[in-house]
Amino acid sequence: MDCIISIELGTNAVRVYAFDLQGHIIGSAKGTYPTFHPYPDYSEQDPEQIFITMLYVLKNLLNEKIHSKRHKVISICFSASMHSLLAVDRNGAPLGNLITWADNRGQKEASILRGAPMAEDIYKATGTPIHPMSPLVKIVWLKNQQPEVFAQTDKFMSLKSYIIQQLTGHIVLDHSLSSATGLMNIYKKEWDQNALGYAGIRADQLPEPVPINYCPGKLLNQYRVSLGVPAATKILVGSSDGCFATLGAGVWDQHMATITIEDSAAVRVIGRDVLSDDKRRLFNYVLDDAHYVSGGPSNSGGVVFEWFAKQFGDFRNAFDLETCMEDLIKEAATAGPGAERLLFLPYLLGERAPIWNAQARGVFFGVNINHERKHFARAVIEGILYEMYSIERMLLEHRNIKEISVNGSFASIPFCTQLIADIFNLPVRVSANASSVSMGAYLLAATDIGVYKNIEEASRSVKLIETYKPNVRNSKVYAGYFSVFENLTGKLAGDFEALANL
Amino acid sequence: MNLFELQQGSSRELQLFPHIVSTGCRKNNAIHLESFRETVVDFFRIYNIIDGKYEWRVDEENLHLYPGDTVLVLPGRKLSSPKGFLEIGALAWIHFKIEILDRSKFFPGKWSSLSESECYTIGNILLLNRSLAPAKTGEASRILASLQNELLNQGIAFHTRVNQLLDELLVAIARELAKEANPGRDFSKIFFQLEQKLRDNLARQWSVEEMAATVGMGTTLFNVRVKSYTGFTPTNYLINLRIAEAIKLLRKPELNLTDIALDTGFCSSQHFSTTFKKLTGYTPSEFRKRNTGDT
Repeated sequence: MDCIISIELGTNAVRVYAFDLQGHIIGSAKGTYPTFHPYPDYSEQDPEQIFITMLYVLKNLLNEKIHSKRHKVISICFSASMHSLLAVDRNGAPLGNLITWADNRGQKEASILRGAPMAEDIYKATGTPIHPMSPLVKIVWLKNQQPEVFAQTDKFMSLKSYIIQQLTGHIVLDHSLSSATGLMNIYKKEWDQNALGYAGIRADQLPEPVPINYCPGKLLNQYRVSLGVPAATKILVGSSDGCFATLGAGVWDQHMATITIEDSAAVRVIGRDVLSDDKRRLFNYVLDDAHYVSGGPSNSGGVVFEWFAKQFGDFRNAFDLETCMEDLIKEAATAGPGAERLLFLPYLLGERAPIWNAQARGVFFGVNINHERKHFARAVIEGILYEMYSIERMLLEHRNIKEISVNGSFASIPFCTQLIADIFNLPVRVSANASSVSMGAYLLAATDIGVYKNIEEASRSVKLIETYKPNVRNSKVYAGYFSVFENLTGKLAGDFEALANL
Repeated sequence: MNLFELQQGSSRELQLFPHIVSTGCRKNNAIHLESFRETVVDFFRIYNIIDGKYEWRVDEENLHLYPGDTVLVLPGRKLSSPKGFLEIGALAWIHFKIEILDRSKFFPGKWSSLSESECYTIGNILLLNRSLAPAKTGEASRILASLQNELLNQGIAFHTRVNQLLDELLVAIARELAKEANPGRDFSKIFFQLEQKLRDNLARQWSVEEMAATVGMGTTLFNVRVKSYTGFTPTNYLINLRIAEAIKLLRKPELNLTDIALDTGFCSSQHFSTTFKKLTGYTPSEFRKRNTGDT
């Protein structure tokens, strides 16, 4: 049987899925790698470890699930998390670790650029909000803070470029990831002269931007032999995790949006037009020649609830976080909507959309003598989802959204999915796939070999099951709480700053 | 409280125990200025605070000690008091010899009935845990008190009992340190700490038991958690780290392949080459050729 492999280079792990040509998963495996924080604002990973982990996981999966059953690999399609930066020298050797999306070292550089007259033009042309996550800001940081590394850098790569270069010898970056660097013109799909000038680099120091269905060449012979895949196996450069998750969520129609909540989270839509936001809060990333994925990312996803569980949950078995979280969710369900006037602002890691404030912090508001752990647990979950709703509200300025599709481990917990329906006051559907990102990668690869006419048809083929309907009474309750939530977030901006400056 | 002091060489009670350098229990009734100078510790020292409040410094770390606290000071560490004197109070101690061959090989000596692998494990916990903060363990003070009783009273089979209690003391302290390092909630955190230790000691031949012990877990639970968290068995995860490090070293043309193999924990360049090729398809020298522009 022919099969398609998707390789998802995520924030904490590489996940490899094998699909048959109809999109059924016939095997999957993961391997994690650590994130280093040598200083408080730093988030780095070891590119060689990611590469070896990927090879190892891929090889095991192929041996156990593919070769042993005489399946044949037709194509391998890549996905990666956005905004990573890896400086390499002229021999192709990394100059230090990979800087990930979560790295905040460029706060000063970001705020200087945000205040500069060219900020508006750069944001509009590149689609990437100006924030320390943006590789543009990271390069400026390198230029200012580590001029010797900056001077030695031959290429500013992204994780995916590096991995694909190891495997094929070619240095490319798909349009989706390129459009998340803050350096590519999302209309012309080429490196933006203004942004390059601001970063102080040349276009030839960046990978070549290519469409997501571009094939960067065959696997180098050694890898082909060691992995045991046919010479004809096609490598597809693929897209970003965010764009693939949106493609795989089946929200092609204008009246739909998708909510992804894993550790971090996002609300996204697909369309032909770039959504222009005067406050520069929305991203617009390139999906293909005619389509953009737009929306807002949040730092405050499942990681916030995990934090709560680790601090305050009961661990019946050592290290059994899953059961501990399940218990807390059951407990939260016994507190009423609004957790009896307890609100939580979930900014434990600062926040991106919609407030784009790295100094923001978590807040419990309205604590009362009668509150118990169940109320706090519920308030934490509700807080995470109010934050999603505040991103949705930015999108409502541009779209008439009537239906939501959710994916990701946190959003697809039934209790959370129902809460989303109630808070958003919209019907919510759940994608049948374990991973929307990998589903997106499958859809692209399947379109490439002719299973679907185009990616629109591919996206429309995604089956959404289980509709959660909003409970009208609860929706009214949440609307009241949300307005307090929004007020608080706005009012506290000055105090977050004061706290940061203590 | 029985006040006494035994010294190797002058106290007959210690004749049968050449590994015990000194032990005792003392009460400090008055402050003597300049009485507590900085010393570089030569033997394994365990102190147990009975009464009073102390402020000591081990290397750069300040310790605030209260009754019930047990402190372990390893050979080579600098012990001092920021105030320069011993505060008023009472404490019990034992100093004994332990061989530490390198950073983590640890042999209590023939008197001990701990097995070689148990010594490895305990050595790991004692020597790799960065901060040997005082372990609040009722266990340790109880054991130390019985040990001293055995020495003074010399009852039937006291020779065996003293050595057993010394082993017991080491085990109790190691368990306490392991538990402090890991309260059983956040596996990602303790796995990250383990990972750092593995990276810092890649050349070492880690066994799964040692890795588990380093984070204070039993081997079975450790295997299950590592597999579900990382996707790999502990051994395979370690191979990942080794090959990733080897790739970095291979990019430096001045290093020779055998050194790289040994530095990254492979027992021979042959073993290194086979493992490297199995994973990447390249032999280490082919990989180097391709990635350094060297011919």
